[in-house]
Amino acid sequence: MASFVPTDADTLEDQRLYTQARLTEVACLDCLARVGVKKNSEHHTSVQWNAEARAHCPDLARRSGGRDVHPACPRMLASIEAAARDGQIPIGAEDGY
Amino acid sequence: MSDTRFLDQGTPPARFARGWHCLGLAETFRDGKPHAVHAFGTKLVVWADSQGEIQVLDGYCRHMGGDLTQGEVKGDQVACPFHDWRWGGDGKCKQIPYARRVPLRARTQRYPVAIRNDQVLVWHDVEGSAPDHDILPPQLPGLAEGEYTDWVWESEHIEGSHCRELIDNVVDMAHFYYVHFAFPTSFRNVFEGHVATQFMESKGRPDKTGGYGDAELFLKSEATYYGPSYMINWLDTDYKGFNTEVVLFNCHVPTGPDSFLLQYGIVVKKPQGMDDKTANFIAQKYAEMFGSGFLQDVHIWKNKVPVQNPLLCEEDGPVYQLRRWYEQFYVDVDDIAPEMTDRFEFEVDTTKANEFWQDEVAENLRKKAEEDGDPHGPDGDGADAGSPQVMTGT
Repeated sequence: MASFVPTDADTLEDQRLYTQARLTEVACLDCLARVGVKKNSEHHTSVQWNAEARAHCPDLARRSGGRDVHPACPRMLASIEAAARDGQIPIGAEDGY
Repeated sequence: MSDTRFLDQGTPPARFARGWHCLGLAETFRDGKPHAVHAFGTKLVVWADSQGEIQVLDGYCRHMGGDLTQGEVKGDQVACPFHDWRWGGDGKCKQIPYARRVPLRARTQRYPVAIRNDQVLVWHDVEGSAPDHDILPPQLPGLAEGEYTDWVWESEHIEGSHCRELIDNVVDMAHFYYVHFAFPTSFRNVFEGHVATQFMESKGRPDKTGGYGDAELFLKSEATYYGPSYMINWLDTDYKGFNTEVVLFNCHVPTGPDSFLLQYGIVVKKPQGMDDKTANFIAQKYAEMFGSGFLQDVHIWKNKVPVQNPLLCEEDGPVYQLRRWYEQFYVDVDDIAPEMTDRFEFEVDTTKANEFWQDEVAENLRKKAEEDGDPHGPDGDGADAGSPQVMTGT
């Protein structure tokens, strides 16, 4: 059962555009995790994990809870930066998404 | 086909979120009287039993609908003012003084209670599940050990807005400048499981004085929602070189389809060598700032419409992903999709925004100096700047 229900089909397409479009797969250089990455600019980064990738990341697995769980894995961040430097991630947004 | 953008207001959810909800500081319920808290479309009765344990039931007696919040606490039970039916914290009617026996079916809605950070939290789930203690918010280290000031606790009932408006602030970088008069210089989000976090670094706006902006105020804020309604906001503030560790608890409980009770509490880590009275005064000052910050939000909410299809620019935060995360609390547990809880990280590019805002603030200061008849512009501290406006995770 859905909760907040859109009244227009275009809204579903917007949801898809903003959450799924333009994701490039990036593999971590240190573990088997693969994530979806989008970069609207040099400084902007959007990283979508899934359960499988999350299970591979030893850094995130080590976190004990509380405030500790939230920051990003530095190895994955470095891998994304390297991929961006190598031109593997297209940089720039399309009409806001 | 029209090129005009359609604003989809959507339909609000027909249920209230699943999860732990804060009803207030436990101490306020320990005066031997029943208390009323409006929540989840009804009224709850909250009281402390003879052991000081907080009990929460639906506020209306299952006998003839009497208002238990206007009754009395008798022993461990709350007694209805209408016919003196006595209800226990387990939801069972324990005694009807004028009757030979209590009907077997005399059970009412009880809300499982947990105490966290001196506050009463209740578990709500329309599916009637057992309370999940694994996802309780964390206890603030040092709070029970007396390392923090006394509580400053405030409540505000918000009418005409769904509580998702409050949640949206987690990702809304630009509103901190326009609504709260702060410059976010760094802004990140992480969502995972039942937890959603906002990391923000900001400074005050020098063109807004009189208790609003203050260029001397630097802030590192980490604000985390543990579930749908309970946020802990760690704020490291630097005001003219004076560092303060402020912790803001921002929580709400829905009262109806488009209304909620917003509550927030502040404690400040007692600086070494400072007496309690001064530390409590500082906490009070910060609470006043946050209070006015919330009122700035409330004014916007009261006048806006809900938007199911926000139109975003590339400098905006991840509104759609946040709402996808928030959706998990409004569907049956069996219907929680993996993407609602999968880890998601986002860093907002604040470069362009800061360039533009710096220029705008400089222009405002120039105009103000002109109006004030001062050709050299403002110098030093703004006169009578009052308290700095501190920006929170909301």
